[in-house]
Amino acid sequence: MEKQVIQSVGFRNIVENGEVTGFQFKIRLPYYRGIYLSQIMPGTLFVDGERIDKEEITWWFKDLPYTNEEMHDDFKTHWNPTECAVLKVRKPGGLSQGYHDLKYGFCFTSSYMPPVMQDRLDPDEEPFIIMPEFGHHVNERRLLIV
Amino acid sequence: MFTYDRKGPKRGIAFYSYSAEYGLTKTLEDCFEDTHDMGAHGIEILANTHIENYPYPSDAWVENWHRLCEKYEVVPVEYGHWIDSHVIRGRELTTEESIEMLERDIRLAHRLGFTVMRTKMPVINGALEPVENWREIIRGALPLAEKMNVRMCPEIHTPSNLKGKMVQDYVEFIKETGTRNFGLNIDFSVFRNRFKEGEWKSPDFEPNKPEDIIPLLPYIYCCHAKFINMSDDFEETTIPYPEIIKILQDYGWDGYLLSEYEGADKYEDGYEVGQTLRKQHIMMKRLLGD
Repeated sequence: MEKQVIQSVGFRNIVENGEVTGFQFKIRLPYYRGIYLSQIMPGTLFVDGERIDKEEITWWFKDLPYTNEEMHDDFKTHWNPTECAVLKVRKPGGLSQGYHDLKYGFCFTSSYMPPVMQDRLDPDEEPFIIMPEFGHHVNERRLLIV
Repeated sequence: MFTYDRKGPKRGIAFYSYSAEYGLTKTLEDCFEDTHDMGAHGIEILANTHIENYPYPSDAWVENWHRLCEKYEVVPVEYGHWIDSHVIRGRELTTEESIEMLERDIRLAHRLGFTVMRTKMPVINGALEPVENWREIIRGALPLAEKMNVRMCPEIHTPSNLKGKMVQDYVEFIKETGTRNFGLNIDFSVFRNRFKEGEWKSPDFEPNKPEDIIPLLPYIYCCHAKFINMSDDFEETTIPYPEIIKILQDYGWDGYLLSEYEGADKYEDGYEVGQTLRKQHIMMKRLLGD
């Protein structure tokens, strides 16, 4: 795994039945311990400045897809910090060849932090105080599609 | 199975210390080998971090775990885990659901050979007080903990105080139930008595004196040997280690001091936390006469 949250490996267009239906990228969990899917708060993706809402994105863990609603209630499936999640984005035609600027926001709750701190979490805004062991909410990377 | 017969305070490593490197430039086996290099024989893991496919590791993974303990002469001391009853937004887990989660961890800790658990309770406020039903949750899991020979230990960490209400409540619970399967993990951050000029310090924090630990010793099954700053001549400059270790020795306390480094500088590129841990282990070796 790379140190950056958005990984360079795994960024490509998705082809289904001969048609490009979207693209995918991988992220790692920038936290020192694993979390349950219910703790994840998915946010917004920007590709070259174009906004893509979380409804267009499906998270995959161990080759299984989870909708935002499924993740919200799932406190049994665990995301280990040594595994990447794959984010598949619906976008007919996918992304063009060349560089793309990805900017993605997500965060997660933590049961041992005071609830008042949890209530203020916003996946699309950086936390009030950046703690390296919790990572950034918003991560950016410039990557190539071939 | 490797056993380590030394009595009194013993050296160990909390693998949390490797958090900035783990999974990127360090594997689980690297953490074992680094521990072995330092001649330390105890470890703490974080279940949610260091167990592949937690909470359901494969038999092959568990077999490899025991192989690593044997090869690097390591005793699995403390299993770090969380009672994640705030895991869903909108409601708290019920007592029954929390017990079920806790029992799953007790079984897994036992399967990996651990005898102490660092049981982190969900907190309800800035004073880090645990959820109101913590007694019911722990009580519900005590029979299994007894059967599996593990001790559940909340960690007492700055800004909490050894003489504070939280610790009193835990001690009362131990006395009431007479249990040997619930106790304390003391993080040495509570003894920190030196701060740099202008350094941030919690307004709620009042440092404990080393002797404040004495009445709690019968309930302490493990300590986090927290350190903040090691000098180049191998002294900790913020926590009175010589006094603390002398008390543990004089009172015949038997258990592991698990080194835990959480300085933010460990996230800097190229930082090797193993070197920082080694500095502290030179100090501890000298103080322990190890």
